[in-house]
Amino acid sequence: MLRLFPLVRAYLRFHWGKTVILAICLATALYVPLAAHGLVRLLQQEMTQRAEATPLVIGAQGSRFDLVLHALYFRTEAPGQVRQAERFALEETGRGAVYPLHVRHRARGFPVVGTTLEYFAFRGLGVEAGTAPLRLGDAVIGWEVARSLELRPGDRLPTDPTTVFELGGAYPLDLRITGILERARSPDDRAVFVDLRTAWVIDGIGHGHDDLEAADAAEGLIARDDRHRVAGAALTMATRITSENIAAFHFHGDPADFPLTAVVVAPTDARERALLLGRYLDGDGAYQALRPPEVIGELLGLVVRLKRFFDLHHLFLLGVTVLFIGLVMLLSLRLRAGEIRTMVLLGCARGTIFRLTAAELVLLLAVSAVVAVSAATLTAFVAKTWIQTLVG
Amino acid sequence: MAEQATERTGVPVVFTTNYPLFYFTERIAGDRVKLVFPAPADVDPAEWMPEDAIIRGFQEADLILLNGAGYEAWVERVSLPATALVDTTAGLRERFIEITEAVTHSHGPHGLHTHAGTAFTTWLDPRLATEQARAIRDALIRLLPEQAEDFTARFDRLAVDLVALDTSLEEAFGSRPGEPLLASHPVYQYLEARYALNLRSLHWEPDEVPEEEEWAELDRLLAEQPARFMVWEDEPLAETADRLTERGVAVITYNPGAQPPEEGDWLALMRENAARVQAALGRP
Repeated sequence: MLRLFPLVRAYLRFHWGKTVILAICLATALYVPLAAHGLVRLLQQEMTQRAEATPLVIGAQGSRFDLVLHALYFRTEAPGQVRQAERFALEETGRGAVYPLHVRHRARGFPVVGTTLEYFAFRGLGVEAGTAPLRLGDAVIGWEVARSLELRPGDRLPTDPTTVFELGGAYPLDLRITGILERARSPDDRAVFVDLRTAWVIDGIGHGHDDLEAADAAEGLIARDDRHRVAGAALTMATRITSENIAAFHFHGDPADFPLTAVVVAPTDARERALLLGRYLDGDGAYQALRPPEVIGELLGLVVRLKRFFDLHHLFLLGVTVLFIGLVMLLSLRLRAGEIRTMVLLGCARGTIFRLTAAELVLLLAVSAVVAVSAATLTAFVAKTWIQTLVG
Repeated sequence: MAEQATERTGVPVVFTTNYPLFYFTERIAGDRVKLVFPAPADVDPAEWMPEDAIIRGFQEADLILLNGAGYEAWVERVSLPATALVDTTAGLRERFIEITEAVTHSHGPHGLHTHAGTAFTTWLDPRLATEQARAIRDALIRLLPEQAEDFTARFDRLAVDLVALDTSLEEAFGSRPGEPLLASHPVYQYLEARYALNLRSLHWEPDEVPEEEEWAELDRLLAEQPARFMVWEDEPLAETADRLTERGVAVITYNPGAQPPEEGDWLALMRENAARVQAALGRP
């Protein structure tokens, strides 16, 4: 049969138009399920990896998926707030390392993640250029943020304002970029990291303003007596923290009441993890403790079920494509009736003619399969970085 | 992110935010740690805002010892590793002295607030200083558990010295119980509380001659508080001292020791303070 291939190859090359159309049809029918399978597997792999690197997430009661996706990928809104007192209580237990998160604001569309310096070591994030945040108003940005916005250490990045329709809302803060993180191929690449206190400054809980005792602050004052000053909206609020005004920044209220959106906890061992989970077994409490691998597993279960439906769909499409190609081959054989008759008259056996047709089909299938597998591999390669940045 | 100092040098690096903490740590840890007190000599560590390079040093430290009680206002304006921070007065909150003479104000939806806070020169009460030193010992033991015995023995010796200091101060201030006293600055609250002093404070600086308005304020205060002694953080200018003498007020220098003295150490400085008090109040 092998000696027939040069003849078949010559035939396919001569009828290149028909060959290309058939190869495209077959390759597409093979590529779609292969690529979908590859992408889903990659998604599963990356999501599982990030989830397994995040042992416990504590947050407000509400959607489990929202809370885990919020804490891991900074994408969804958290179901509610966590008082910082809860973080202190968790630290007090000594059962593991505690990483508070505050993700409520954005800067040029990227999430502003308020956390502590320990988060960087927890995620294995190194600084490519510059330093970690040093003081209020500083930010270290993910690799992707730096690339997209063309930012370097020393540049400024304003947070997105929330005061357009809300006069009492948060003022934008002009962040000073102190550093750029090394590429992590994770959602951390697309985040702007600030100290928790800076996040609270953006919230409006901490702020710097005119000295209320100074004469030029008078127009900002609504009322005053010996011991109290009441300031109005005319009071000038600092929207950029500098060496000159940083001493004027202060926070209102009890730090225990300051808001977080989630707390990631890395228990020291399985026993401590069980004990920590036990703290939140009472479903009536304000907070819940989740194991991201379980929640992400559930989420991926849904994806796999959906994929099964698409697999059936792809199988059906593949069957239709095969029938279509069979039809094309049959019609082709009819068109080639004269050619086949000549071959028979020249002494070619009918079996050889059958083998010729089969070889044509095998070659076509082989070429299509190579194209489909190559395209699916290329797709997975290209999509890998995207998926990693998205959910890795 | 910030590479811990131990990883680079093999010796843990401990940062302190004032000289008393530096001294206590030095007494307890000796050369087992590399000790850093980075505030420049010419600034009050309580009013200080570290430069970026110094903040980076703090970020790389294995242990950051804070005085607490609101002493390091700058700490809430910088990013420091939460796991390295140790507030040496965290267990003393019930003994904090609140400053009530301050203006409150409000703006926005968050209601009234004040920038007043807590008196923070806790180490002036030797018993509180001992508790701070104990917190330092515990933090050092967590950092270097294998040195626990040595640290404990060294702490015990420091505690004995602090008890002796407390006794000498008790004797010095006890020689005239209830004696009306003035202070140039409101920094002696814990001394006042510990030794039941009858003390009223002004806001005078040793290196500035007070304005006439401030002298008038002093005269009004002297009418209420007939003090014969005024406690200063440092020797006042001669002109100030002379005008006080004219009013029958003698100067007692009591250096809180937030910065290292030119000679000697913190304990020697406190002993000198006690001796000056004894010399002034012990006179017939």
